[in-house]
Amino acid sequence: MAAVGPVGSPDQSCASPDVAALIPLVRRIVAARVPDRATVDDLVQETLTRVLAAAGRVEPGMLEPYAIVTARNVVASMWRDQDRHRRHQHRVVDLRPPPAPDEDVLAGEDRAAVAEALTRLSERERTTLLAHEVEGRDTRSLAVELGSTAGAVAAQLNRTRARLRVEYLLVSERVEPPTERCRPVLLAISSGERRRQREVDAARHLLECEVCARLSEPLMERGRARDDAVRVPVRGDADIVAARQAARELATRLRFSPTDITLIATAVSEMARNIVRFADSGEVVVTELEEPRCGISIVARDAGPGIPDVERALQDGYSTYQGLGLGLPGARRLMDEFAVVSETGRGTTVTMTKWRGEA
Amino acid sequence: MTSPRLFSILRQGLHLIASVHTALDDSQLVRFQADLVERIGADRARGVVIDVAALDVLDSFGSRTLRDIAEMARLRGAVTVIVGIQPDVAFAMVELGMDTGSVVTALDLEEGLAELDRCLAASPLPGP
Ligand SMILES: [Zn+2]
Repeated sequence: MAAVGPVGSPDQSCASPDVAALIPLVRRIVAARVPDRATVDDLVQETLTRVLAAAGRVEPGMLEPYAIVTARNVVASMWRDQDRHRRHQHRVVDLRPPPAPDEDVLAGEDRAAVAEALTRLSERERTTLLAHEVEGRDTRSLAVELGSTAGAVAAQLNRTRARLRVEYLLVSERVEPPTERCRPVLLAISSGERRRQREVDAARHLLECEVCARLSEPLMERGRARDDAVRVPVRGDADIVAARQAARELATRLRFSPTDITLIATAVSEMARNIVRFADSGEVVVTELEEPRCGISIVARDAGPGIPDVERALQDGYSTYQGLGLGLPGARRLMDEFAVVSETGRGTTVTMTKWRGEA
Repeated sequence: MTSPRLFSILRQGLHLIASVHTALDDSQLVRFQADLVERIGADRARGVVIDVAALDVLDSFGSRTLRDIAEMARLRGAVTVIVGIQPDVAFAMVELGMDTGSVVTALDLEEGLAELDRCLAASPLPGP
């Protein structure tokens, strides 16, 4: 049995994708490709976490195809890692020094890909983007120059970045989109514009087009700058404090307001405590978000017994320990987005997001 | 404890002043509660001021611990005033759905002590 909490507070326009309903499907896909049970469990959780992370950015009807695509990718990358590991073992046995990766070449290729992607933008898009990103011009002064508004310029910049990401991926992966529909679909995914995703029927295209299925994942997850993630293992009481302080530090660096910083730290404290109380151990991962605007994402994950009835656990007054049941509904009120995926006997993943208020 | 002290409990006349010096984890909060309640009994304190200005958050566990301390103090004949709850922390408590219950709060130590005197004047002590 599995259950899921809706994403977003009740007052939010954010739809509530039923991620838990995807668990049997994801499990089927993974189990068909991976023999051992423990790995299947891991990969299912990994897939669900990624789907949850992207849930706010895709329109609800697209969640199932996205889960299918993600499950396949997760399995594929696991095999790739194992393969790499095997080759590495071989190398150790051979006692041959591993070839030093030529980082200069890699960086050079990356620069070349960005440069090539930039040439694929329109003149106006390119000029505005470079003025903003390279010369550091703010949207207000650009708006004056372009005879537009700061909001419109910001929106345009977001669309341009979304296009640049698509073109950059195409260049660096050395693929030419196989159909006419690929670019519009990739663009809709990259920009996170749900209405656009519906209009171009992105969901169906992902299932039909192998290229877009592969590229969609980096595009959807780009908001999660992995290098900027802080991972706090949570095993005991002291780790609860460590987790909320990690969140506080990142939120401070991202210039959240003092009030929001305290709200975030409090929510993290509640979720970390749930891990210690119910699952013995787990982790809290705190990540900076850049799109659609600056924010902070917190994933609290454990492999504990799971929550049998998440809907109920999200209700105020639901008693879990010591007559204190405010953990989930309380933390949910503190954050902008909040989602729970739990599988009985397999663990719980809570994903929460706070967006920075307009400065 | 060899590490810097996490909290201190000082006697001032009939009152105890308990100050938290840093962010406490759950077990440290539990120890704080145990030590303080014991001191209230041992010192026959009539009033307790708890200064929590150094606490980074007051989540469900922290709020509950403060409420429990005040309740246990009451059962031992002492009035509790909590001081130093930062405005952001107070806001987070409300959003979280927690409050300090019927516990009296005040801005800072001075006000807390004044509040204690007012409470004690209003309700003359029952004989111990
Ligand atoms: Zn395609």
